[in-house]
Amino acid sequence: MKLLTHNMLTSHVKGVVKGYPLLIKATEVKVNEVDFNPQFVSRMIPKLEWSALVQAADELGQREDLPGELVPEYENNEEFLKKVHRVLLEVEVIEGVLQCPESGREFPISRGIPNMLLNDDEV
Amino acid sequence: MSSQEGGAAESGLNAAAASTSRSAMNDGDVLAVTIGATVPTGFEHTAAEEVKEKIGVDAQIGKDRGRIYFPITTDKLSQVHLLRSVDNLFVVVAEYDHYPFKESKEETLTEMMQLASKLPWTDALAVWKLNGKLKKRKGYRKGGNVTKAKSNCEVTDAAVDDTEQPKLPQALSAAGSQTKAESTAAMETSTTDSEEAETAAKLLKFRVTCNRAGDRHSFSSNEAARDFGGAVQEFFQWKADMTKFDVEVLLNIHNEEMVIGIALTEESLHRRNISHFGPTTLRSTLCYGMLRLCKPQASDIILDPMCGTGAIPLEGAIEFNSSFYVAGDNNDMAVNRTVNNVCHIQKRMAEKGGASGLPIDTIQWDLCNLPIRTGSVDIVVTDMPFGKRMGSRKKNWDLYPSCLREMARVCTPGTGKAVLLTQDKKCFTKAISRMGGLWKRLHTVWVNVGGLHAGVYLLKRTGGVFGQTPEDVYESRGTVKACGDENSDKELA
Repeated sequence: MKLLTHNMLTSHVKGVVKGYPLLIKATEVKVNEVDFNPQFVSRMIPKLEWSALVQAADELGQREDLPGELVPEYENNEEFLKKVHRVLLEVEVIEGVLQCPESGREFPISRGIPNMLLNDDEV
Repeated sequence: MSSQEGGAAESGLNAAAASTSRSAMNDGDVLAVTIGATVPTGFEHTAAEEVKEKIGVDAQIGKDRGRIYFPITTDKLSQVHLLRSVDNLFVVVAEYDHYPFKESKEETLTEMMQLASKLPWTDALAVWKLNGKLKKRKGYRKGGNVTKAKSNCEVTDAAVDDTEQPKLPQALSAAGSQTKAESTAAMETSTTDSEEAETAAKLLKFRVTCNRAGDRHSFSSNEAARDFGGAVQEFFQWKADMTKFDVEVLLNIHNEEMVIGIALTEESLHRRNISHFGPTTLRSTLCYGMLRLCKPQASDIILDPMCGTGAIPLEGAIEFNSSFYVAGDNNDMAVNRTVNNVCHIQKRMAEKGGASGLPIDTIQWDLCNLPIRTGSVDIVVTDMPFGKRMGSRKKNWDLYPSCLREMARVCTPGTGKAVLLTQDKKCFTKAISRMGGLWKRLHTVWVNVGGLHAGVYLLKRTGGVFGQTPEDVYESRGTVKACGDENSDKELA
């Protein structure tokens, strides 16, 4: 699971109001090499919840010097875009769990696949 | 080129001509030919678009569905093999818009047989030969009788290069007798080039495949294939073989249109991405067509909420790789197969060098209750259960409205799109008609999936905010009852 995906995931346990962002507890993390496309990154940034991304990177110990707030005029800041690229696409959680921040319900991640299926009583 | 006379003189001339002709071929004797391609029915225009974009030529759409034709020069042949919307390729030998088929079967078939020796085979065969090095193979065919030496191949080259039509059969039959004498000697010389082995004139095997459509023909496709094939065999002195053929001659007849071609693909290109199949895996060419329909932009988030083996998002991650794909399914086997397919491609990419990382992630989820933030997805592309190969008709009545709502929720209002493939057109149309506040129907492409007639529906997400449209009064869960509908309609009034 890449952090770009994590940025979109939310807990959908019945009754939960604040199910985002999911907390990450990882036991295996991989960092891959992915081709850098600055346009892709800069167009993706507005679609992200920035603080959730930073928090997630932090939880994995992969934050490095990613700023807590978006830098102004990032579109042309290649150095900044590269940092974002790394965190969005290159860092991958292979094994671990995602946890609903409100209910504490844990969703396992195995082989990079989060299992978000709920039990019948949780729907 | 001087005319050729006796057998001995001929072989000498051939050998000399061959050494020069081989180098001439290699120097890039570029030929202009017409290529025909079979594409998923319904996606002919999408395929023509891809051809224009990547080859730079205009394609004609054949009168029989599922075929397009376009002109190329042979230096573009390898690019043609990279097209993602084509299933099979062939080079056109001759095409007739209005072939005058005779009334009687006998006359028609006799004429067709006579046609075999008059067709301009040379260029097409040259392309076939060139293509031998480019096409994907099932695996080199081993055989004790494949004993080729240079002499045989030289003869072939000369024959193929011969632009004077009447000379062609003569050269080849002479070649036949010549090479028999030399083949025993040839056994001792080792051949390193497997291409040469395959293209030797002596052992070229062929078959004729005929597709016929139209209700005013006096003959059947079998009869045409048989008789035309017989004439081809006599003309070229090739050996007919239905399974282990080198050359596949195509005879496509659609009403008054007739196209004769030579196949350039051995196995259909449509299974290229998937190594781990599932029960309903879509062919990649169809996936490509669906993706092209929604015109993915850079940084688009594209969701496939019932991905099966991941055929659609994987094709997207490879071909429209400036978008990001999120694939999901509720089934254990499906998500594992998807990940296996992704890994397989990434491994292949890594072997070719370069960063291997496809823009795709896989999740296990319930599509009627997606764990995705509202309005965070740009495009939804998926293959919805048909009720015949997967799921059931009754299930679809409940499933379609639920998942259409969930897809509307996660899709960005105003700009979001969906491209949905389904065979259950009745159920789908009904479900969509009750969601005018969320989805607008733009365009439908009618396709054929494994013999089933299906529709690819292109939808646009309206600007309506989820949770505030009239449909939200309608209960999506549970069986739909007529009186239940009436009540909700009254509430709306």
